[in-house]
Amino acid sequence: MADMEIALDIQHLKKYFGGIKAVDGCTFQVPRGQISGLIGPNGAGKTTTFNLLTGVLEADSGEVIYNGENIVGLKPYEIFNRGISRTFQITRIYREMTVFENMLSASSMKMPVREARERAEQLMEFVTLTKLRGEYGGNLSYGQQKLLEFARALMTDPDLILLDEPAAGVNRTLLNNLLDHIHHLQEEQGKTILIVEHDMNVIMNHCEKVFVLDYGVKIAEGLPEDIQTNEDVIEAYFGHR
Amino acid sequence: MQEKAEIRSKYWLAVFLVAAYTIPFAVGIYTENVFFDLQWLADLTTVILNGIMQGGVYAMFAVGLTLIFGVMRIINVAHGELVMLGAYLTWMFFFYVGVDPLLALFITLPIAFIIGLLIQKLLLNAVVGGPELTPLLITFGMGLTIIHIVEAIFTTDYRTIPYAPDAFQLTETIAVSRSKIISFVMAAFISITVFIFLKIHRIGKAIRATAQNADVAMVCGINIFHIYMITSGLAAALAVAGGALVSIQFGFNPETGVLYTLQAFAIIVLGGRGHYIGALIGGVMLAVIESLISFMIPNGTAMVEIASYGMMVFVLLIRPRGLMGPKEN
Repeated sequence: MADMEIALDIQHLKKYFGGIKAVDGCTFQVPRGQISGLIGPNGAGKTTTFNLLTGVLEADSGEVIYNGENIVGLKPYEIFNRGISRTFQITRIYREMTVFENMLSASSMKMPVREARERAEQLMEFVTLTKLRGEYGGNLSYGQQKLLEFARALMTDPDLILLDEPAAGVNRTLLNNLLDHIHHLQEEQGKTILIVEHDMNVIMNHCEKVFVLDYGVKIAEGLPEDIQTNEDVIEAYFGHR
Repeated sequence: MQEKAEIRSKYWLAVFLVAAYTIPFAVGIYTENVFFDLQWLADLTTVILNGIMQGGVYAMFAVGLTLIFGVMRIINVAHGELVMLGAYLTWMFFFYVGVDPLLALFITLPIAFIIGLLIQKLLLNAVVGGPELTPLLITFGMGLTIIHIVEAIFTTDYRTIPYAPDAFQLTETIAVSRSKIISFVMAAFISITVFIFLKIHRIGKAIRATAQNADVAMVCGINIFHIYMITSGLAAALAVAGGALVSIQFGFNPETGVLYTLQAFAIIVLGGRGHYIGALIGGVMLAVIESLISFMIPNGTAMVEIASYGMMVFVLLIRPRGLMGPKEN
């Protein structure tokens, strides 16, 4: 893979919790401008990897190169301000703030207020939440919260968007809506998107490249159709035949 | 099941509050301090009005405490000492420079904000998010240090600032002291300004976002360490403003801060920890009950502290989240 095509270069990333090797020397490169998937059985280290990439957890060792800079050790807000944004496995919106306030809360302090408000309006329109702009986050349905969190992650127009289980707890119609938005971002705006997901339909039908983790180590990567038949992946999910 | 417990605790709190407000009347009737005539009713109205005025000031400095707790989950037991410091700063500017106590706020509030920033930067930033006991002990030590420094400079003598001591006659029989009205108006103005700031301003929104979930705030680009410092500065400014406003009504010495800390705690427990409006309501409620106790119970002035302690203990037992606080997880 040529350097120019790499959005995120993860090298030997490690995170141990006591004796548990949550991420154990993980190495992979996320291609720029594509939708990629990060999969693995429960406890494989997917969410921990996301937490390391976004600075929520600090890596024990390893490097994450983004735009030529190692972002390991940076605070989450510094990583966010460099253009990496994320959503969470279980939605984490501000329940006691309105939809509009939730959106504005993710605008950079450097962004002029008027611009932030316009951007928030556009994104609420994009995810069809405009009618709920004055509603408190805690009053939204789970699916609407997912959309809000997704829209909030786009407030500063990030280059790299990490989505942690966007399909979890979302009905099929809403999920299709969300996936349409994700494709729109990638195709129309050239965004790089990395998705952690258990729903294999989402991964196989919407990702151009898939990385597989098991016990904190990358065991496979490739096209979705190749991953489906990869012996190591099958073994990780189903055990020895 | 949880919902039932929630409703039950709400009812019990209502019962407790009704009982708490009834007790001064009952004791007053029993000790023959209650007279069912127009003059007594006028006095009662005056007392309640005074309580409301006083409550506005209490609420304002309690808001500072609730902000710090809401944003950092830190219990600042030195908050009352900052109130006391505000009183001394105002006194100094009044007696040594001749600055009007209200105009002195333009000088004392920026000073307080900087003190708050320094406290956060030097003492609290390192312990935010850790065990609750550590910041509690740090602020306890800081409070004692402030008391001793002020004692060393000003001695333990009581100080007063003679300011608008005359009364404003509402009717022929109802009058409220001018200094109380001025304090209330100032406190209301400051509280409303801070509320609007938190509601509308970008930094205010960031403070609220951090209070709701600091981890999420960070991945949404908010530098929570800046927010912690601004919050501490704001809380110190509110405490010092509170000190300025109580200094024109009551005497004070280095020890009075302890009482203000206690009152602020009672207010945020009653209103709901971390809840801004709750603190405002709690402030007025506490001050009114204090006024009723001192008015109707013989030697009641000496017993007003019981109102704060009692309020705090019983509300914690009955409904730990108070009137408007978030549900306990």
